[in-house]
Amino acid sequence: MATHQYHRGALRVLRPHYLDDSGQVCYVVVNPGGAYLGADLYVMDVEVADGAKLLLTTQSATKIYRTPGSFAEQRMRLRLGERSQLELAPDQLIAYRESSYRQNTHISMHPTSSLVMTEVITPGWSPDGASFRYEELRLRTEIHVESGGNSGLLALDNLLIRPPQHDVTGMGFMEGFSHVGSLIVVDARVDQGLADELHSLAGGHDAYTGVSLTATVDGISGLVLRSLSNSTGELNRLLGTCSALLRRRWHGTSPLDLRKY
Amino acid sequence: MPNTPTSPASYQLALQQLCDSALPTGGFAHSLGFESYIDRGLVHDEQSFGVWLTAFVGQQLTYSDALAIRFFYEGDALPELDSLLTAQLLPRQLREASVKMGGRLLEIGAEIFPSPDLAEYRELVSSGRAAGHQPLAFAVVARSLGIPLAETLAGYLFAAVTSLTQNAVRAIPLGQNAGQRLLRKAADDVAAAAGRAGQLDRSDFGAVSPGLEISQMRHERQRARMFMS
Repeated sequence: MATHQYHRGALRVLRPHYLDDSGQVCYVVVNPGGAYLGADLYVMDVEVADGAKLLLTTQSATKIYRTPGSFAEQRMRLRLGERSQLELAPDQLIAYRESSYRQNTHISMHPTSSLVMTEVITPGWSPDGASFRYEELRLRTEIHVESGGNSGLLALDNLLIRPPQHDVTGMGFMEGFSHVGSLIVVDARVDQGLADELHSLAGGHDAYTGVSLTATVDGISGLVLRSLSNSTGELNRLLGTCSALLRRRWHGTSPLDLRKY
Repeated sequence: MPNTPTSPASYQLALQQLCDSALPTGGFAHSLGFESYIDRGLVHDEQSFGVWLTAFVGQQLTYSDALAIRFFYEGDALPELDSLLTAQLLPRQLREASVKMGGRLLEIGAEIFPSPDLAEYRELVSSGRAAGHQPLAFAVVARSLGIPLAETLAGYLFAAVTSLTQNAVRAIPLGQNAGQRLLRKAADDVAAAAGRAGQLDRSDFGAVSPGLEISQMRHERQRARMFMS
């Protein structure tokens, strides 16, 4: 149940609603300005109370336009209470030419809480059709596990792509692809079998994908799935298939259908 | 005429021993992901391995290993740095390789170059408060020997590159001279990486390219393989 919401400035949060009868409340973040520009700073704080279930998404893609001599920034702090669930499923991030963007996400969770987050990064259209015309993308996510006054760092995912500094297109970097997709799952039920299963599911998509288990903190582990492709649709389908499996198996709910378009 | 000084720096021979590929840390068992590229046919000769090695030095070794070593020299606490490495090494086999080789280095270090810092790191590991990562174990031993940061970084990075190149010579396979040509070129990458690591900041730590990570993750499920990572 939604207890409190607040917004100010350029971001809005739509009135919470329910997509099914699972008790998972859905919040949609809206950017009425339509895009992030240079020196923009977006700050989000989210608290998922003990036992609560939240789906947090966006109304449309996050677009980063030109940010000459500067950068757009998003800082997000999420706190998950005991036995709470968070599904973080924003639309894709689109970085247009001459844009710089920094995203810092700090998540603290309890060993009994459950996190599923997805992210897709897409190069925006450019006049010459090239994919890497943006200046810099920096997406840093820290996941901490906290209980009884102890805190441990479970995963640090730091994605940094700076096309002007060196060739990022080839072997050892983007491997000839232009889009990146990520899925992070942290839940007491994550194990090697699940990682292998998601790897098999990913095999049916036109993408280059790896899946691996994170370290274990306080008895809870996570997994990271990382995928490269040339298509936003393909990555969304791949991540959607994985999230559908988790929703069905863990919560008995149907695949996400946000009906945004 | 005065004699030309011929005594080596106090740490010179110790550094050579630490960086010698004969130091038994088990590096021969790890490709750190390049075996996935061999499996896909993308790394198959001197030139293609050189491309991978340059990417590996510029990404993994710079943003993870070298930065961890520098932060330790700058006084960051061992438990925090150790846990940052554990959290940042997302591919499971990379994490296990770092801890496996780190554990051997901690053992060998305790026998040949004991110091209070090394004893502290070993104690953190044996009590379960740290994992014991290779770059940190190396940094702890090197700093206790009074080796300056620049020499430690260059030594560590070049030792890593040497081990990987020797493994590539066996796995691809390449000729011994090709291996030496690769090392000569990698020396430029190592020098650049050591310099670069001095200019990055804490928010850069762990920024490894998606391609390298995916290949390291995929190695877990590769059917035929010579290496543990």
